[in-house]
Amino acid sequence: MIEIIELSKYYGTKQVLSNINMTFLEGNVYGIVGENGAGKTTLFRCIAGLEYYEGKINARLSPLKNHLGLLLTEPYLFSKITGKEYIQLLCNAREIKIGDIDLKNIFELPLNQYASTYSTGMKKKLAITAILLQENTYFILDEPFNGVDIQSNIIITEIIHKLRELNKIVIISSHIFSTLSDTCDEIHLLKNGVFIKTVKKEEFTQLETEMKEMTVGNKIEKLELK
Amino acid sequence: MTNRRLKEFGFEPVFGYLLILASFTGLSFFLFYKTEFAQYIYMLISLALTSKLSGTGRNDFLKLCFSDRHYKLVRNIENLTSAIPFLIFLIYKQFFIGSIILTVISLILGLSSFKTNLNVTIPTPFYKKPFEFTVGFRNTFLIFPITYILTIIAVFVDNFNLGIFSFLLVFVVALSFYTKPENEYFVWSFALTPKQFIIEKIKTALFFISILSLPIILTLCVLYYENIDALIAFYLLGCLFLITIILAKYAAYPYEMNLPEVIIIAISISFPPLLLVLTPYFYLKATKKLQHYLA
Repeated sequence: MIEIIELSKYYGTKQVLSNINMTFLEGNVYGIVGENGAGKTTLFRCIAGLEYYEGKINARLSPLKNHLGLLLTEPYLFSKITGKEYIQLLCNAREIKIGDIDLKNIFELPLNQYASTYSTGMKKKLAITAILLQENTYFILDEPFNGVDIQSNIIITEIIHKLRELNKIVIISSHIFSTLSDTCDEIHLLKNGVFIKTVKKEEFTQLETEMKEMTVGNKIEKLELK
Repeated sequence: MTNRRLKEFGFEPVFGYLLILASFTGLSFFLFYKTEFAQYIYMLISLALTSKLSGTGRNDFLKLCFSDRHYKLVRNIENLTSAIPFLIFLIYKQFFIGSIILTVISLILGLSSFKTNLNVTIPTPFYKKPFEFTVGFRNTFLIFPITYILTIIAVFVDNFNLGIFSFLLVFVVALSFYTKPENEYFVWSFALTPKQFIIEKIKTALFFISILSLPIILTLCVLYYENIDALIAFYLLGCLFLITIILAKYAAYPYEMNLPEVIIIAISISFPPLLLVLTPYFYLKATKKLQHYLA
């Protein structure tokens, strides 16, 4: 379980997250949606302990960060490190012995090449592989489907299902609604640093319609496309 | 961007530029004083720096931003600006032909773009514990055969000091592996306490520096057995500097080491006992800084 109690975050005088209360349970996949700048990444960084914040974050396994696989929107890679070495580094960080990495290379990445030469999607797949091999209990995946080819998106979706089966906690953000509806048990809508709505699986279609109406409105008509 | 970098390093830009100018002039005089091949080395250094501007990525960007005519103009101005300090010194030294050749090649380079990074994976013996030595070795791999060749030369000309010089060169290069802070993700990922993290980093560094310097140590041990005490002293001192630089890096983390820290470390080169004070000071500061990222 991960429990967030009255979490607030300020950058200078600007409040980015406001009094967030939330509980994430094992064996569930949670989607966080919101416009750019809504506070999703800041929330993830707070949960990971990368940001100072007000409030409390408790987890069954403590310290939370040592059991958390964090996928950043744009994974950072060193200029002269191979894919294999990147995985080795992240597994060393958690003292995990991985054996033959090539056997676990499910995305068929060129692991002996410098990871900095990878495409955006390949970098993301490498980072996903690494956090999976870290044997984490909690996962935060910040836009895991962005820039990834359709075949790999199918694999990532299946991985998320498997993580749920293994009783892990998975928190995902995505700008592609269908990826969330395929994987999540609950979706939370974040707006200006506040959770304004929580939706269960059976109400996802309704949420999508509401979001469309709220986001698009009559904006397309304003373009007067001809 | 240069101004920002200088400010991050703790310099007022104007002093930074003056220091760069003074260092450049001093090193130029030193080079021309030391060797008769100075003009060729000088031209090569200039062209190596200028060629960095021919990277495919930045040139593709410039081509997108400017028309064909303006792009060529911008590239020529860039390359000439990069070569000007070298040209002025060559003219001052009356190497007129050299300065003309340098100008022409710099302008030709302005019309070309190529990959400035070698993307062939260089094998290293450090793959089990990335990343400092893995990345650092790949960035400086040509230096190590040179140090080993210098050691062989030292043996042939029976010059123990030259052997020690090549040995110390390996340490100096290894120190450079620890000057830049890594992205916070690669500290945060470790399931270690700050103390354990630092010990792990130091253990890895000492093991790998020993591997890198082993050919030199063994050669000098066998052939200059009578000087083994000096060799051990230099090895221990080198290790102490390596430990200090690791601690100093994390003492400044997540930022780069700033000027006062660099100056103190530089002073300790001429007065090594200072390290006995510096090491615990940096250690305490580093554990405090790492507390935010590690449990």
